[in-house]
Amino acid sequence: MKTTEPGRWQRTSPLAVLFFFGKLLKLIAQNAWQSIAPFAAFVFAFEGELATKVVLGVAAFFVISTSVAVLKYWFFRFQLVDDSILIRQGVVKKTQLDIKFDRIQGINTQQNIVFRYFGLVTVNLDTAGSSGNEGSLPAVTREFADSLRTMIGKVRKGDDEVVAVVTPDADALLSLDSRDMIRIGLADRRALIVFAVLSPLIERMDDNVYKIVANYVDDVLGGAWQTNIAAGAVITASAVIAVIAVLALISIGAAFLRYHNFRLFLDGDTLRSHGGLLTSHEVSMNLAKIQTLRLEQGIVMRWFDRYRLSGRQARSSQKQDKSKNFIIPIVTAAQANHLREILLVPEGDDLMQIPTSPEFIPLSPYYMRTRFLLVSLLPTVVAFAVFWNLIGPASLVFLLWLPLSVFLIYRSWQRGGYHCSYDGLVRRSGLLGYRSVALLYRKVQRVSVTQSRYQRSKDLASLRLYMASGSVRIPYIEYSTAKRLRDYILYKVESSQQAWH
Amino acid sequence: MFRNPEIALDGLPDMEDLDWQQMHPRYARRMQMERLIFVAVAMAVSFVPAIASGGEFAPTVPLWVLVIVVAIPFLGWPLISVPRRGYVIRSKDIVFKSGVFWRSVTAVPFNRVQHVETNNTPLDRKFGLANLQIFTAGGSGGDLSISGLGADVAERLRIYILDKVGASIENH
Repeated sequence: MKTTEPGRWQRTSPLAVLFFFGKLLKLIAQNAWQSIAPFAAFVFAFEGELATKVVLGVAAFFVISTSVAVLKYWFFRFQLVDDSILIRQGVVKKTQLDIKFDRIQGINTQQNIVFRYFGLVTVNLDTAGSSGNEGSLPAVTREFADSLRTMIGKVRKGDDEVVAVVTPDADALLSLDSRDMIRIGLADRRALIVFAVLSPLIERMDDNVYKIVANYVDDVLGGAWQTNIAAGAVITASAVIAVIAVLALISIGAAFLRYHNFRLFLDGDTLRSHGGLLTSHEVSMNLAKIQTLRLEQGIVMRWFDRYRLSGRQARSSQKQDKSKNFIIPIVTAAQANHLREILLVPEGDDLMQIPTSPEFIPLSPYYMRTRFLLVSLLPTVVAFAVFWNLIGPASLVFLLWLPLSVFLIYRSWQRGGYHCSYDGLVRRSGLLGYRSVALLYRKVQRVSVTQSRYQRSKDLASLRLYMASGSVRIPYIEYSTAKRLRDYILYKVESSQQAWH
Repeated sequence: MFRNPEIALDGLPDMEDLDWQQMHPRYARRMQMERLIFVAVAMAVSFVPAIASGGEFAPTVPLWVLVIVVAIPFLGWPLISVPRRGYVIRSKDIVFKSGVFWRSVTAVPFNRVQHVETNNTPLDRKFGLANLQIFTAGGSGGDLSISGLGADVAERLRIYILDKVGASIENH
């Protein structure tokens, strides 16, 4: 198993049992109710003391799942042939996977603590056109993963030139420190989502917390302090702040778990990132696979003057697949510029992706008129008409939507814009933060120019570029510009001799 | 550093005076037929309350008036929209235009086509028409689909485009 010797069925390390066990637990957790049923049946079906039954049940559960994991490990075999990797797996339902090297977009590895101790990794083969990764090789040696990577790289390039595999750590394109982890954690939007989900719970908890704290305060001050409204407000506010602080801490912890000691390398034409505290994740992507490069800045990131950069790969048409993005969680403007030059090879160096750059051309101000009609005026009038009879003058509240939406529309126009060079284009957008998407013309799949009646009367049009990773729309630009850009992009695509993927 | 020589932007081929190919003459009729079936079903459904209430036709008269008022422009629309559709096959790409109020022109370069498909519904077959679908990578927002081509034209186009796609791969 140490070598990539072709033509022999081989098993992975016995520690792969851990991997299968973990997968099994995940599966059980996902189908919690169905999994509990047999357990409950066991507990209630036999006579005897409840505690004994529970202990027996748990023991049975572990014995069964461990033996399933062992069986899965035993029946998992793989073989390397000339240009593909064969995987045979399954205990009852046997399947054989045949993954062609040239379909593999990237080899990502994961390493948990146990595997790290033994120098093993789990290899995930990311294939084109499939959602999620199709094949995984659990618990193979790091040397094996490296030689597999070299092999696949060679097959895809079609030459025998050996690609440099391991770059010394000193040559990292980017490395993140603990302060960056804190920034990532604080800027993570998921913390807000968790907060939103938990808020009803928190509200209920608030009452209890209030009572407890109020009693405590009463005890301490011996009743001298009357728990009046002001005190209540203080207590509630501090409870909310405490919750937010806890969420922020969890979010920062998550950032450490995923990105601790994050380093970015360039091996030949493959970008590779490495990071993670307990389980270290290694993700790699061939530069040619990047369809669009996205630079994003939310409000918190704006505060830190940092950005998040992600390279998007071609995705399958069935569903949006986040796992196909190569994410660099935090960069400064200068780093973003430098990385763009490296990632959008070879023609991306004329592009400017930093949103505050003066090179961006604004969209036509008429952009705001349509949005004003659809987003501000129409909902306000409808809400007014519907609620006037129901709640009377209180429906005047809806009028507040007018100034707010006008402000937001103005902001979105202000933040909108595009900038193009001879080889590529950057579309900037945003409402509170910024997003700018860079692309190379030669990777465009199809182009369309659309005009509404109103746009026609103002001689404006919208240009939409369909990329393999999704589409990029530039609304409300001059019709002549849209047509010229379209014709030029078609010329670039049709005369391009390079592959788009 | 490698540089491309600058090209004259004015010299690029544009789409100003393309020789747009119209859809098949029977296409508008086919769309009207489809819509007629839909309207007939709607009319049939609108009779249900009257029949269910035991022959009380008077209360549902406004409903029928509404169905008829909506049906007339609905049935007439293909006569306006179909002539606005058109396609052009150029040596490197296929261009399709459509739309009356929202006009759009979409171009698909042959060297980005993944596969081509023709299909037809029973109604299409009755009118001797077919659909040509051109798929590119990514597939966000639907790929280019040209309906209302003559069945023979669609098949010829499919073979022609596949041929072009093959040629662009060989030149790679």
